[in-house]
Amino acid sequence: MTEPLVLGFETSCDETGVGLVRGRTLLSDALATSMAEHERFGGVVPEIASRAHLEAMVPTVHRALAEAGVQASDVDAVAVTAGPGLTGALLVGLAAAKAYALALDVPLYGVNHLAAHVAVDELQHGALEEPSMALLVSGGHSSLLLVPDLSRDVVSLGRTVDDAAGEAFDKVARVLGMPFPGGPPIDRAAREGDGSAIAFPRGLTGPRDAPYDFSFSGLKTAVARWVEARERAGEPVPVADVAASFQEAVADVLTAKAVRACRDHGVDHLVLGGGVAANSRLRALAEERCAAAGIVLRVPSPRLCTDNGAMVAALGSRLVAAGVAPSAPDLGADSSLPIDVVRP
Amino acid sequence: MKREHVLPTPEDTRALGAALAGIVRPGDLVVLVGPLGAGKTALTQGIGAALGVREPVTSPTFVIARVHRGGRLPLVHVDAYRLGGVADVDDLDLDASTAESVTVVEWGQGLVEQLADEHLEVRLDRRDDDVRTAVLVPHGPGWEQRLGDQP
Repeated sequence: MTEPLVLGFETSCDETGVGLVRGRTLLSDALATSMAEHERFGGVVPEIASRAHLEAMVPTVHRALAEAGVQASDVDAVAVTAGPGLTGALLVGLAAAKAYALALDVPLYGVNHLAAHVAVDELQHGALEEPSMALLVSGGHSSLLLVPDLSRDVVSLGRTVDDAAGEAFDKVARVLGMPFPGGPPIDRAAREGDGSAIAFPRGLTGPRDAPYDFSFSGLKTAVARWVEARERAGEPVPVADVAASFQEAVADVLTAKAVRACRDHGVDHLVLGGGVAANSRLRALAEERCAAAGIVLRVPSPRLCTDNGAMVAALGSRLVAAGVAPSAPDLGADSSLPIDVVRP
Repeated sequence: MKREHVLPTPEDTRALGAALAGIVRPGDLVVLVGPLGAGKTALTQGIGAALGVREPVTSPTFVIARVHRGGRLPLVHVDAYRLGGVADVDDLDLDASTAESVTVVEWGQGLVEQLADEHLEVRLDRRDDDVRTAVLVPHGPGWEQRLGDQP
């Protein structure tokens, strides 16, 4: 008997993602983004994101089915991001997922967006070692998770107390006159720079600080102050060195805390996820430190690190295989869904 | 309440937030103005902690708005940093009523004042010596009265 075919919906921010997964095999991953529409307004507007999801939804589902070479009637279960994310955006995905589940008469699984970022790695690197540690870093999240059982039990060890890591990238990019989102241009500029040129602060790394929490607000301010001081003095700003030193500070704190969490909890597998996991310096430093500490590092390809529908289908597929009960039909959107709720 | 404040440490900024939490009422709008790193989130953290909201207040930039419950009043924390154009209530994606909450908006100057008949503006700044300053600017007779005559 073949494994169940799961259709996944992701609409927590500005990407409309629809993916199809059978077991741990990725069949298709269709994506539409409303970024171009937001550019006209100079930023993401939730109402526009919701409308864009609505317009993109059905064509994206059709594309996902065509790419996978399957019919809608082949689908065995539907999974959908129920949170965390923008409420209005989540609602569109939920409405679509419920409609398909009802029309196809298959079970509906609401899933946690953060847990889905961990699950997506199974599509590339096979079954997750449990327990694993997971470091999720994106524009909206910076979380360190202990994962005893991704289908049922995820424990939050730490999170940012102020700005998310990706947000710090966006704000520093703005200070340096780079476009939004800030991750890719900073990564590019940093390749020409020296990461040890400027000693930017490492937040929450003192002996009495919370060992697994993150803080990037002070770092962002330090970069802004350093650049302003140069500008006031009429000196040129060494953009590549600033970018590299900032990126080094972020990668240093993230990897040091993740490795420490692994060591403290006796866990020897670490999964990276979220858009910031596409950062080349973070990946390199994580590899270096995990190798030194005897930790197996798993990082999905950059395409699967950012938001997509396949990650939701991947977690849905896992829930089906683990025999977890489907969600209730009145499943709602929860903009601040806590991570310990894997399947709301 | 004093209008001008010198805030040497983030704890001082949070303490000012706590003092503001003592005088806010349902329906209030507080607009925070100031550059990157001036202490807008720290001030909001002080308001949230003193209201007694459940979870810690973190930057809402990515989700635009976050509602913190469990305190004396719900705290709606809005970050208009990524919003373009004039925002209306729908655009802010609020899932709480601003009439029952205190709404604190970062980066919202010129965008959100119409959310309430009057509002309190808090101008935050960062001096070269890293000390933050705050000036409370009442907009409307109600806020004038609540802050009192102290300069």
